[in-house]
Amino acid sequence: MNEPSGCKGLNFFNPRGATMRGEVRVIKLILSGWLAAIVGFQLFAYLLESSYSELLLNDLTFFNLPIQFWLTGQFLPLWFIILCVLFNLWMDRHTAPSQEGSLRFRIKPIQREDE
Amino acid sequence: MSYGLIQFVPLAIVAVMFALFMFSGLRNRSKQTSEYGFSGSYTGRVGIGAGIASNWMSAASFLGLAGVFYMKGYFAMAYVVGWTGGYVLLLVLMATQIRRFGKFSAPDFVGFRYESDTARTLAALISIVISVIYCVAQFRGIALLVSWLFGIAYIPAVVIGTSLLVSQVVVSGALGVTRNQKLQYFVLIITFILPLMLLTRKLGYFWILPQFGYGAAIGELQQQFGFNCSEPFAGTSLFEWFALCFTLMFGTAGLPHVLSRFYMVPGIRDARWGVVWGLFFIALIYWSAPAYGVLARLLEARSGVPLYAGGADAADMIILTAAGLGGIPTWAIGLLAAGGISAAFSTAAGLLMNGSASFSFDIYPHLIRPNASERDKTYAAKGFFLVLAAIVMVLTLQPWGMIAEIAALAFAVAGNTIFPAFLLGIWWPRANAAGVICGMLAGLVISFAALLIGDSLPLVAQLFPFTSSAFIGAPLVMIVIIVISLLTAPPSAAIRLFISRNVHDCAEE
Repeated sequence: MNEPSGCKGLNFFNPRGATMRGEVRVIKLILSGWLAAIVGFQLFAYLLESSYSELLLNDLTFFNLPIQFWLTGQFLPLWFIILCVLFNLWMDRHTAPSQEGSLRFRIKPIQREDE
Repeated sequence: MSYGLIQFVPLAIVAVMFALFMFSGLRNRSKQTSEYGFSGSYTGRVGIGAGIASNWMSAASFLGLAGVFYMKGYFAMAYVVGWTGGYVLLLVLMATQIRRFGKFSAPDFVGFRYESDTARTLAALISIVISVIYCVAQFRGIALLVSWLFGIAYIPAVVIGTSLLVSQVVVSGALGVTRNQKLQYFVLIITFILPLMLLTRKLGYFWILPQFGYGAAIGELQQQFGFNCSEPFAGTSLFEWFALCFTLMFGTAGLPHVLSRFYMVPGIRDARWGVVWGLFFIALIYWSAPAYGVLARLLEARSGVPLYAGGADAADMIILTAAGLGGIPTWAIGLLAAGGISAAFSTAAGLLMNGSASFSFDIYPHLIRPNASERDKTYAAKGFFLVLAAIVMVLTLQPWGMIAEIAALAFAVAGNTIFPAFLLGIWWPRANAAGVICGMLAGLVISFAALLIGDSLPLVAQLFPFTSSAFIGAPLVMIVIIVISLLTAPPSAAIRLFISRNVHDCAEE
């Protein structure tokens, strides 16, 4: 039982097949948004703290909350929810119906082929 | 908080809440297997999300997070971001693919993917270690609440709390009670947010959305008492913040009891949308928890209580302290206590049962009794449940740290072991059994390095802090898996074909 030749060397950085290429592309976009927000907000807070006085940091508020408190504690979890929604919408539109069902019943035929 | 007195009203509320869960579990037991099982009807995506959130909400979320905010101010945001951001990793990199493997537990997945009983047994042992550490955090929360409810010291409270938990599991098992997770989530969220609304209203802040209303308290603390809890990196570094945050994220995507949610939902599409709802429900708690820490600090400052007077124990009970100092009604304080003890009980019971299942199905028949029948395995599971409870109880007698810190160690172990094994198992078909076994062993060493040799080698403690070791540890473990896999024989063609075709839908082009 050999891998299809078009799938040899498949991995996250070397996606093969239209489905996997599309899926990896959207995963990379989502993870970029995820990482940029986490790292970006902390660097913003760090630079703000080191460059300006604490007073300025406390004067920047959003709905009563200091800006870094709001961005990290409230906006980031909301941003994660938005990213998850975007990912799900993309997957709902692009994933093949055969990949959406439970594979509990698809494993057995393959094992039989192997035997 | 007043110790030495029995809290009758809160005790009555705790009893009523447990009776409600038991009654609901008895009423729904016939429906439950189909709701969270593998076929039949289910309660929909919101229900799956509530199940994920209810499964997730433990003493660390309910009690511990507010305590860390009280002690460490802005630094505690790393917990909020880590415990929510991990779900993005889980959803995009693992949830869908795990379902495509069609396996139903972490050891099952590892054993199948890496075609190795040794890897499967190691994954089972690691799952048990994670369950024990996570349970110690839960037992600490239970003991502190029992101590407050009955007015007794911590050590007898640990013993009584353990006895109550074991009794509840035994009675529930005997009666066939199942968890109504949707009800449990909605009760927990009400018991957490309603007292917070009452508290902010009493203090004269914007109480309709206390998640924003407490911002005024941050300003008051700064202006009147000179205490700045919003200063981002006071007394800590950017590295420490990122290390903790990413460790919690990797751990979230690697905790066996979190991953198990995706094996048990009828459809992949529902599982994915269930994550979104689950994350929203979890975020509701995390948007609110900082308020308790900040308001407690303000109320203590107004009362002239010195900073950090009560230490870690007082910090872990800070939501009750805030409620008590704020003068909200006793029944509302009782709701908080009931919610906390319920979250800790359900998480601890679930983890102990998961741990005992790992032992009886993955270790006992493979290492101890190869010919074990199903009946033997059931007895082994029951016996090991009691052994695990006793181990956790003894460990809880020791003051290891705050609830959230102990939980973070469990996340670090998961992030250093299960997370790399799953990630490479899904996305790199070349990863093999030798690689994953060496990787998981390296992950265990990294997780406990700071505790074992941190005193003699300070650099190790700095790079791999015991709550935050997976930030550097998880990439290191992945390197170990990759190098060892490349130096040894590749996995079978059958499993590589399975990953290409069934997991990634790659066919001939």
